[in-house]
Amino acid sequence: MASPPHASEDEIQSEIALLESRLNEAKARLSALSSSSTPSIPFRPQLSASSSTHFLFLLSDSALPIGSFAFSSGLESFAAHNRRASSFGTFLPLSLSSFASTTLPFVLAAHRDPASLAALDDELDAAVICTVGRRASVAQGRALLSIWERSFKTTLPPGSEDDALILKDFSTLLRRESNNAGGEAPLVSAHLGPLFGAICAIVGLTLRQTAYVFMLSHVKALISAAVRANMFGPYQAQKLLASENVQTMINAMVEREWHTPVEEAGQSVPIVDLWVGRHELLYSRIFNS
Amino acid sequence: MISPFPRSTSLPGDGRIVVRLLPAGGSGLETISYQYPLKLISPSPTVDQKSALVFLLSYGGGLVGGDGVNLSIHVRRGSSLSLVTQGHTKIFKSPSPDVLTSQKLRIQVDEEAAVCLLPDPVQPFEDSVYEQTQVFNLANRASLCLLDWVTQGRGARGEDWSFTTWTGRNEVWTQGSEAGQKGRLLIRDNIILNQDGSKLVGLPLRDTMHKMSVFGTLILRGPVVEPLGDFFMAEFAASPRIGSRDFRSKEDQEKESEERSELERWRSQRIDLENQQGILWSAAHVRGCVIVKFGAASVEAGRSWIGSMLVREGSIATYFGDTALMCVQP
Repeated sequence: MASPPHASEDEIQSEIALLESRLNEAKARLSALSSSSTPSIPFRPQLSASSSTHFLFLLSDSALPIGSFAFSSGLESFAAHNRRASSFGTFLPLSLSSFASTTLPFVLAAHRDPASLAALDDELDAAVICTVGRRASVAQGRALLSIWERSFKTTLPPGSEDDALILKDFSTLLRRESNNAGGEAPLVSAHLGPLFGAICAIVGLTLRQTAYVFMLSHVKALISAAVRANMFGPYQAQKLLASENVQTMINAMVEREWHTPVEEAGQSVPIVDLWVGRHELLYSRIFNS
Repeated sequence: MISPFPRSTSLPGDGRIVVRLLPAGGSGLETISYQYPLKLISPSPTVDQKSALVFLLSYGGGLVGGDGVNLSIHVRRGSSLSLVTQGHTKIFKSPSPDVLTSQKLRIQVDEEAAVCLLPDPVQPFEDSVYEQTQVFNLANRASLCLLDWVTQGRGARGEDWSFTTWTGRNEVWTQGSEAGQKGRLLIRDNIILNQDGSKLVGLPLRDTMHKMSVFGTLILRGPVVEPLGDFFMAEFAASPRIGSRDFRSKEDQEKESEERSELERWRSQRIDLENQQGILWSAAHVRGCVIVKFGAASVEAGRSWIGSMLVREGSIATYFGDTALMCVQP
């Protein structure tokens, strides 16, 4: 649209107001029209988007068999350390902040550059300095890699064959490193974060979706652990999951770590390291972390 | 071998220390230089000194907003160095959040050499902005004992994790065995404490610290501190199970406590003290290093806990001398 080169702010404002009123008028006409005829949403066959949406649902499903139900990420230990004042509401923000600052930068980096998967895995391995935390991360990472190899790989979106080779090389390296155990630091360990990022990139999830699903899965695993640890019931669990608070926190964490380089990923809540590390000292345990 | 460090130390806050084996035996300083605000002091060596000793100081006992310290250290083959401080490293407030106070430390440790860094904790004041980076480059069979700890600030003035930002990064790299071979990152321990970052989950920073006044990390690697690492792992494994109950009768308990060894008696006293003073700790064996994390409800409780563990095991005092432990003496 032609506009005077030095339009004042007032002129632009009035132009916006005019355009908005025309838009509203057109919308009103459309709704009047569609309410008189049969309401229908036309079926549009989706082509390229459908496959990534399909994988979005698969990867965000709590039935994804990576065994996250076996881990409480320190929740069980937190409850044992704070018998008198242990509320899930206290633990959730601490766990989210800690999980985001330590792991999310690696998920984002692997999504941005799946080819650096092995290097990122090694760097994360150097940064997870807690026996229990390592066990949880590696167990789920290896399970995810198996799902990729046994299940997802056969239905690759077209054009992602090169990226799939990265995962093939990665699992070959992993097998070789597992066989010659005894060295103090294997080249790759298969931590969950970088593998999740790389696989999401290959199946076509956007960076934002990947980050959100990764954080949401963590919340789902925590809440599910809380239900099984008898902290609250399933309705309360869904209420929490659906809450605006959880959505706001996840979005805030994704935004906080969006530009964090992996060298600067680290622990933002030191006490979480202690709870997770001391999980091994619990007399009775229902979870692996 | 060509030194990987820059030659000149003409910038403010720069410092350089080179330690080598003396012809007569023992470790001595080949170079020690520093610029304001950094100050390095090495007491004149005594005959029975086990390692070269250097005090890391700053004028006025702390760093003012915007100060930067950049210290590089080279410990040559077979020699040993202990680094200590004199009192908490105070970090004063920054005039604005974008004025960064920083300390950078790079230590190169050659074959069979050893470094022990047991300083006083860093004490960041309200509104301070601080970044600390410590990079250790270890040759084959080099040893490292590193303690890094931070307090809530001036508790007596009501400060309770009231600083703007505190980040601490410790990296341990191994050198390739041959020249020109790329080193490998073994451990990267990052702590990022940030008011803004914690507000995003709806909590002031102090609420995320769970009433702890001090948090610390001890990193151990190499043949000199291997017994110490084993000691921490064994003590952690011997910790009482949380939530367990003692079903023995009182008589049995008393009978057994009389038969306990000296180590078991010490351990049980330590565990009682840990419970009284709100000390939580964990130890892990990761990529050829032992890493101990601890938190305590008071700074002095944390100091006496880590001090008593190091003194009890004894290998730091034996190898580096008692002076290496001066900052962790209760």
